[in-house]
Formats: sequence, C-alpha cells, structure tokens
Amino acid sequence: MSTHAPESTKPWTKPRGTELTTKVIARPKRDFEVQAYLPAVAKGLAQTMSTFFRNTKEMVLGQKSDPVLEGFSDGVTTLQYPEEKRPYPERFRGLHRLTIRDDGSPRCVACLCCSTACPAQCIHIEAGEYDEESGRHGYERYPVRFVIDELRCIFCGFCVEACPCDAIRMDTGMHAVPYDSREQFIYERDLLMAMTGRDGSRKTANPRHEPGDPSHPGLDREHAH
Amino acid sequence: MSLVEVVLALVKILVIIGFCLNMSALTTWADRRQSAMLQHRVGPNRAVINLPSFVIQGALATPGLLLGAVAALGIGGAASPAAAMERMALGLQLTVFVVWFHLVVLSWRVHVKGPLNAFEAAIGSTLPRSYFFAGLFAHGAGIAVTSLLSQRLAAGLLPAASVYTGARVVGALLGALMAAIGIYAAMRIPKGTFGLRLAGTLHALADSVKMIFKEDFVPKNADKLLHSLAPMIAIFPALVVLAVVPFGSVLCFEDANKNGLFEFSDLAHVAPVMTRDAICAGHAVPLQIADLNVGILYLFAISSTGVIGAAIAGWSSDNKFSLLGGLRAASQMVSYEVAMGLSIMGLLVITSTLRLQPLVDWQNQNAWGVFVQPLGFLMFLAATAAETKRVPFDQPEGESEIVAGYFVEYSGFKWGMFMAGEYVEVITSSAILITLFFGGYSLPFLYADGVLVQIGDTVLFQYKMNHVAVTVLQSLTFFGKTILMAFFQVFFRWTLPRFRYDQLMKFGWTKLLPLAIANLVITGVGVVAIDQAGPGVQQGFALLGQLSQAVVALLLLAAPIALVWLLLRPVERTRFLHSTSTRFAAAAGGVKASPMQA
Repeated sequence: MSTHAPESTKPWTKPRGTELTTKVIARPKRDFEVQAYLPAVAKGLAQTMSTFFRNTKEMVLGQKSDPVLEGFSDGVTTLQYPEEKRPYPERFRGLHRLTIRDDGSPRCVACLCCSTACPAQCIHIEAGEYDEESGRHGYERYPVRFVIDELRCIFCGFCVEACPCDAIRMDTGMHAVPYDSREQFIYERDLLMAMTGRDGSRKTANPRHEPGDPSHPGLDREHAH
Repeated sequence: MSLVEVVLALVKILVIIGFCLNMSALTTWADRRQSAMLQHRVGPNRAVINLPSFVIQGALATPGLLLGAVAALGIGGAASPAAAMERMALGLQLTVFVVWFHLVVLSWRVHVKGPLNAFEAAIGSTLPRSYFFAGLFAHGAGIAVTSLLSQRLAAGLLPAASVYTGARVVGALLGALMAAIGIYAAMRIPKGTFGLRLAGTLHALADSVKMIFKEDFVPKNADKLLHSLAPMIAIFPALVVLAVVPFGSVLCFEDANKNGLFEFSDLAHVAPVMTRDAICAGHAVPLQIADLNVGILYLFAISSTGVIGAAIAGWSSDNKFSLLGGLRAASQMVSYEVAMGLSIMGLLVITSTLRLQPLVDWQNQNAWGVFVQPLGFLMFLAATAAETKRVPFDQPEGESEIVAGYFVEYSGFKWGMFMAGEYVEVITSSAILITLFFGGYSLPFLYADGVLVQIGDTVLFQYKMNHVAVTVLQSLTFFGKTILMAFFQVFFRWTLPRFRYDQLMKFGWTKLLPLAIANLVITGVGVVAIDQAGPGVQQGFALLGQLSQAVVALLLLAAPIALVWLLLRPVERTRFLHSTSTRFAAAAGGVKASPMQA
C-alpha cells in the first residue's frame, strides 16, 4: 500500500524540485490622498466618532447588548458588576451549605466522611450524641461543631460526593465574598445551615427517613431485624 | 477703577477659573478613561455618592415646583395684548416640549426597567420615538395656531381680554404640568439610599481626591525646589491665558443714581434693551477679565511660557527619560510657536484688530473665521495641538519611547497638576480656537437687540430680545462651543497615531511655516484686491457671508432633531444561546440581578 498522500490533497510543504511561487503584493501607493494626511484624518475621526457615540448612546439609554446572551453582537459588553452578574453554570460548585431536616436540625450525622475525603483538610467536625429521649439516640450522631475554612477549600466537591446523607451540598451558586480578615472565612455550622440552594430552600429534594416514620426500615443498634 | 469693577473682575476670574478646573477634570476623565468606549468597554464610572432618598426627592420635586410657579406667574401677567400673545405662543411651545420630552423619558424608563403601575404601563405601551414625532407635529400645529391668532389680533378681530385669558390658561397649564412632573418623579424614587452617579462623571472627582492622598515622591538626587516648582509653572500659563478671551459681549448697567460713578446700587439696573451696535449709555462691563489692546499678543506671550514648566520638570527630575522629554517639549514648543503665530496673521489682516472682542463682532457681522480662513484654521489647529503637546504631537510624553517624558518622576498631586494643566490647556486652546475661528460667543443672526435674519437686503425674520436674554444666550454659547471644541480635540487623541520626532520637526518647519507665509501673502493680496474692486464685489462677499451664517443657523436647528432621531433609533440584536450559562441566564431573564445567580 502506498504511503503517498492522495493527489487531490495539496502538500503543505514545497515538494522537492518544484519552483517557488511568489505572490507580489503591491506597495501601498503614496498618492496625494495619503500624502495630504487630512482625508485619512477625516476618515479616522468619522470611524472613532461613530463607534463612540453609538456605544455611549446604547449604554446611557440602556440599549447595550446583554454581555452573555448577545455576546456576539456589536457594542459594549462590559458587565456593570454588582448590578449585572454573569450567571454560573447549573452545576457550578459554590460555597457549601448544610441541609436541614423537617424539624430544622442538621441532616448531618457527623460520620466524618467529608472531612476524611477532603484533600485540603478544610473541614473540622466535632460529633455529639442526641439526647436519651430522642429517637435518634444510639442510631445516629449530630455535629456539635461543623467548620469549613473557605480559604483552604479548593472547591473540588469531594465532600459532597462522600456524604451518605445528602447533608452537605455546594449548590448555593455563590462564590466566596471578599472579607477583610481570615477569621471571616471560617464558616461555622449555623452559618452553613442558614445558606440556601439556588432554589431558595434549605432542604434537599431527597427524602430522609426518620426513626418512627412508616417509611423507616426500623433498623438501629438495638434492633437489627 | 471703582470698587464695583474690582468685585466684578473677581467674579469674572472666579467664573473662568472654576470653568477651567471643572472642565479639565471632566475632560481628563472623558479623554483618559472613556476612550474605552472605542474598544466596546466601559471606562471606570463607578464612583458613587450614597444619598438618602429624600434628598434626591427634594432635588427632583423642588425645581419642578419652582419652574411651575415661575411659568404660571411669568406667562400670566403681560403688559400689552401683543406681549401676552407672544408669551402665550412661547408657553404653548414649552408645554408641548415638556409633554413630549417627559413622555419619551418615562416610556424609555418603562421599557428599560418595567412599569410601576397601570399608568406607566399605558405610557410604555407606545414607543418613545412615536411620542417624539407626535411632539414635532404638535410643535408645528402650535406654531400654525398661534400665528393665525396673532394675525387676527393684529387685524382687530380678536378681543384683547381673551388673549390675556389665553396667556393665563397656558401659564397655569404649564406650571401645573411642571409641578406634577416634579412630584411624580420624586415619588418614583424608592425609599432608602440612592446612589448618585451623574452618568459616571463623579469619577473625575474621585480621581482628584485620590491624587491628593497619594504618596508624593521626589527622586533622591532631584533638585527639590525646581521639582516642586515645575508643576506650578506648568499650570499657571494655562490658567491665565483665558484672561483676554471674551465669554460674552458687554453687560450694560444704567447710570441709575445719575452721578456718573459706578456704584453697587447701579448693579440692580441692567439696561432693558440695547441698540443693534451695542453702544452702552451707562456703565459697560465687558464680559472678559482684561480688555487688552494687544489681546492676541498676550495670548502668545503667556502660552509660550508653558515650555518653561515642562523643561524645568524634565531637568530637575534627575532622570534621562525626563530630560529627553523636557528637551523634546522645549524644542517642539519653540518651533511651533512660529507657525502658530503666522497661521492666524491672515485672519488678523482681514479683521485688522488684535483685540478679541472686535474680532468676535467682526465674525458676527460678516462670517465665521473658519469660512474666511479655512487653511489658517487647519494650521492653527495643528500648531495648537503641538503647543499643548497633544496627539499626534505628544512626543514629549511618548510612552513607547521615554515612558512618560518630562513627568515620569512625578506622582500624587504634582502629577495631577501636570495632568490638570494639560487639560486646562485643552480647554483654553478650545476657547481660543472658537474665539478666532468659530465666532466666539456669537450666534448667527443674533445681535445685541435680538434676532435679525437678513439675506441681502431682504429681512426674513426679526425678533426683538432684551439685553439680559441676549447676554445670557451669548455666554452660554461661548461655554457650550468651548466644551464641544474640547470634545473634538479629545477625538483627535483617540484617533491619530503619534508622529516620529523628525517628522514632527520637518512638518513644523518645512510644511506649516511656508504654508502659513503663503496664506498670509495670498490673504493680503486678496484683501487689497477686494478693497479696490468696488461695491459690487464687496456686496457679493457680504451676501456670501450671510449665506455662511444661514448655513450654520440651519445646522444648529437641524442638529437637535437629528440628535433625538439618532437617540431614539431602535436597536436590533441577535441572540446565540451557545453555552449552559447562557441558557441559564436566558431562563433567568438576562444578566440582571436575580436569586438564581451568584
């Protein structure tokens, strides 16, 4: 089988032995219009003015193209940041939040899966036992402290993957806000529980089966089947 | 010189200095920052003053109420039926203007931000440009109706009492309309704080405040005294040059106390009307700081000292780049001084005066300097750009070669003074340009006694105006023209690339200078020839001058209409939803703030 390229495709290097082909580009003429300088100045001024006035008009009158939706259109595409924001993609990993149950307690069972999975070691959890009277006592624990250092976090999302209870999510759609001291980036449990997802809810769509619910399988430490 | 004249001179100085400094800050912002608009970006315009909303509400409602009261009282009471008719016509036009203008604004706001109530939804259902065209039609109809009525009044068919009533009704209508608009605008402001941005111009203020607080750096081996002195020397000539430029004609006060002395009590008695040749019987206050008989020579003498500041700054900074910049500035400014002076000699030969006020009067009587001396204008424009070290002649601060030239070692407010000096020079050179070539404070066909449109010997239109109205109009014209010309010069900086230094020198000495001399010779020959040619040719030139004034007047009338038409032109765009975040934004209704976004 021949290794030569088919004859229909032109070689992109000059084949050996062929003549060099050159394309002669005419020098720009130094005719009177160019040498007089003024016609060129007038042309340039017209170009500058039309661009400037069109863009100014569209910005001042609020007709400026939407920088995201009409990014390919002519005109100013500057985002006026606090008023206009570039939306993040649907699966954007933003700041963390801790989801809550129907009674307002954290879904988190302090299993330490997230802090174990975290490559940046930015999660610190202190686990606590529920009261004796609580149906959850002996079945699961809760986080007394749940701390995320948002400066240390690399937003990889491993904590969300690791969580068995859908208790930690990164669907707030928010990026870290510029604070003026490091302490402010240390997010405590109550702050994390106060944050909502993009849908405005502090819960998740996944159901949680509490002890005593009809849907609960009835398993706990004392009663295994 | 009496005490009153001293006080008035101080007031004039304050007006001019205030105008220069404010406009220089604004021009700096516009020139250095808003050129981003050419690259489809917005320059920095985020400076904001947060005011409580009641302040803004007061600022919106008070002028409406005040103007409404002024309109209701001013149009209502008139001395004679003819005056009442005139005020009624004016009031009707103002009413039509106020109505269509605010309908356009409200409709546009509704289109941009959405309606607040059913009334706004109804207003917004019609496009702004429809209101504009309806307004133009209403203007025409109003003119037709009032001219018909005034004809009937002149013929005695209309009772005088009904004209008085009509004027009162129109005045009350206009007053009520303005008050209502002011109150409604105030009501639209939501509670809380309101960010005052003034279309971004506050950024100039923020910049200058920032410069005061920045570090003032002086190089170790610099000449400390000269290094500090140079910015002051640079800004001083730019500020004092405007002393001889008239920003209005003569303001005439009557000799009310009949003692021949100009006293403070005379200030309350402005002459009611002037004759066409503007001869003042009482106390004349020329609207210029110093009425020197060597006006233009003073201009050149002062503006040529501007080179000292740049040269001293370059030398005292102990920096090779600064020194090169200072040397370039010095040689360039000295070179172009010659061409600059010679390029306007032709104009001076024609007008045969060195004073600037008679120069403006000559242009008002005959034709603007730019029509008489087009080549002189172009040469003077080029020489001025070189004198003020602006593009395309800004080699003294050529960033690509010598960093920033003579002010490379300056920071903080001293640097700010160089910057302010440069832009004060832009303002002053614009003022000089319009005074020499664009009729200064004069408007076509506007004379000291009012408007008189006359082509040849036929009077097309005549309208008497009082002295204060003419003077205010002329002053506004001067400042407006100066701002427009400064903006025009800013466009040069945005458009033209810099010359090479040898090209600059060659252009100055081998092109501009011979051309200026040729222009002077040809003008001289032409002036002598026209003087000898007899009355027929002279009348022909007078007619040409009147036609040039008519062209300018027509352009002045057409410009606002063209401006509004361009502003209200619809914009069509295409949307490509090419990424997930774009689709996301589209679902959320664009990139406006919404809970679905970060």
